[in-house]
Amino acid sequence: MSVLQVEKLTFAYGENQVLRGIDFQVGPGEIFCIFGTNGCGKTTLLDCILGLNTPDCGRIAINRNPAKALSPAMTARQVAYVSQKSDRTFPYTVLEIVLMGRTAYTGLFSSPGKADVEMAEAALESVGMQDFSRRIFTRLSGGETQLVKIARALAQETPLILFDEPTTHLDFRHELNIIQHIMKVVREKGVSVVMATHAPNHAFFFESHGMPTRVALMQDGRFGAIGTPSEVLTPTNMAKVFKVVTKRFNNEEGDMLHQFLMPVDFCEPHEDPNPPQP
Amino acid sequence: MPTRKQSVPTAALGILMPILLIGLSLFIGRYDLAPGDILSILFQPGHWMSDPDRAIEYSLVHEIRLPRALLAFMVGGALSVSGGALQGLFRNPLVDSGMLGVSTGAGFGACLGIVLFQNAFMVYALAFCFGLLAVVLSYLAGRIYDTAPTVTLVLGGVVISSIFSALISFMKFVADPMEKLPTITFWLMGSLSRANFQEMFVALIPILLGVAGIMLVRWRINVLSLGEREARALGVDTRLCRILLIACTSVATAGAVCVSGTIGWIGLIIPHMVRLLVGNDNRVLLPLSLSFGGCFLILIDLIARSIADTEIPIGVLTALVGGPFFIVILKRTKGGGSW
Repeated sequence: MSVLQVEKLTFAYGENQVLRGIDFQVGPGEIFCIFGTNGCGKTTLLDCILGLNTPDCGRIAINRNPAKALSPAMTARQVAYVSQKSDRTFPYTVLEIVLMGRTAYTGLFSSPGKADVEMAEAALESVGMQDFSRRIFTRLSGGETQLVKIARALAQETPLILFDEPTTHLDFRHELNIIQHIMKVVREKGVSVVMATHAPNHAFFFESHGMPTRVALMQDGRFGAIGTPSEVLTPTNMAKVFKVVTKRFNNEEGDMLHQFLMPVDFCEPHEDPNPPQP
Repeated sequence: MPTRKQSVPTAALGILMPILLIGLSLFIGRYDLAPGDILSILFQPGHWMSDPDRAIEYSLVHEIRLPRALLAFMVGGALSVSGGALQGLFRNPLVDSGMLGVSTGAGFGACLGIVLFQNAFMVYALAFCFGLLAVVLSYLAGRIYDTAPTVTLVLGGVVISSIFSALISFMKFVADPMEKLPTITFWLMGSLSRANFQEMFVALIPILLGVAGIMLVRWRINVLSLGEREARALGVDTRLCRILLIACTSVATAGAVCVSGTIGWIGLIIPHMVRLLVGNDNRVLLPLSLSFGGCFLILIDLIARSIADTEIPIGVLTALVGGPFFIVILKRTKGGGSW
């Protein structure tokens, strides 16, 4: 049984065809990383799953519920979303931000109750941010902000969480912290994760820590390859998608195999007018 | 979000302050009335009503000062709650209750009423209807581009407001300069001098409907203020909530403006004062904005009718008194740890 099922999904912004037939499934407790060039359609795909975009063709089912039949509140009880950056117009407290994760469980004319506050506090505790509940969200660092948003997604109590480049702009320490928390969420809560990312090494990290991980390599609105990180994140595939020469390193420590992928050169520097950003 | 310990005194302040101010405003006015007489009028009205020599004192308290204070509370509260709700909806701290053209629309309606009819009821009715019409036009203008609804709605509001401003200028130009132009000018500066119970009930129904609607969805405003994407992802039907909020804020503001004339500033500044004191959670912010906005207008009206020989227009005083008041609060709270 799959938590998320996407079949023959196509989507266009007017004349601009962004998704051209996407097929994949995500099982319970699985981490599914979507890896691809800037503008290849990763965020558009996440928006389709969230119900923010209506697909032109194809079908999305979350926990066997057809996505197009779900109201916004019903969708939000099935799938949570951790964005790359947040709007910071009003300075809410951390607890208020996490409490907003309970909105899908409150009626149009009601507010979260005491049980919701307790749930939000528990969610904050599970990411180690319980001491931050009265702090102002807009004044937190990038890493702390992401942890609060993970807590909010946990408060949403969904079987599936979507992450859109969750570690962009973070330093090493915060990056590791976020990645470990994602693993913890999957392990402890049995949640499935779909993660749009530019960091292939995160997928290797999940794999080497024994998490059921798959990677989809996305290019021009299609999945070029789907499989385990070791199968998909190869120098050949990288050259095909990003037009870069990459080196893959293995480092064995005891029974753990760490793998890394690193870009070292452009494939055809003179023929590629827009080399991808490192 | 205030803790339980903080929320009890906050709620008490929000309820007691308007009661005290409404009470106080009965004792202040140009007609000299002894405090003992006012208490007697309030608690033993029978004595005063039956005596024809004292009927004027009775009607002064019951039919002028009391409805005027109640109307000031309702109008100030409605403008302030609407402004606070729209700031959240548009994710813009500079938005006020007149954002979508309701005040200028109502202004034009009132001008039309003053020029074409002499009837006060027609002035209210036209002001109310044109206030709502301006919002509908702003909404339609904002829907021309469907991709960024809140941004284009604000733009629609600006365009429609400027069209109605031009129409107001035109009405001033064609109005009889001896008789009707001064009436228009005073209406546009805002005043509660016409207040009576009849006028209060005219405003009560739309204000009650609008404010109640805003209060019911005030948690959703928190979530909406995170932006369309996040709000949708958190389970908010953003389209439904937006339409509901625009309808409620417009009805409440139009209801207020049609009896009070154009009163700027309250819808912008009172929610910010309350933000500094209790934070940004609309569950606390909006009820307290209702109370503070109402109290602020009662105070302004007290000053307007007692500081000089003639009444000073309210629209002049809101900014003159509110500006320094806001700066004092900003200084005292040092931004409330919020911004």
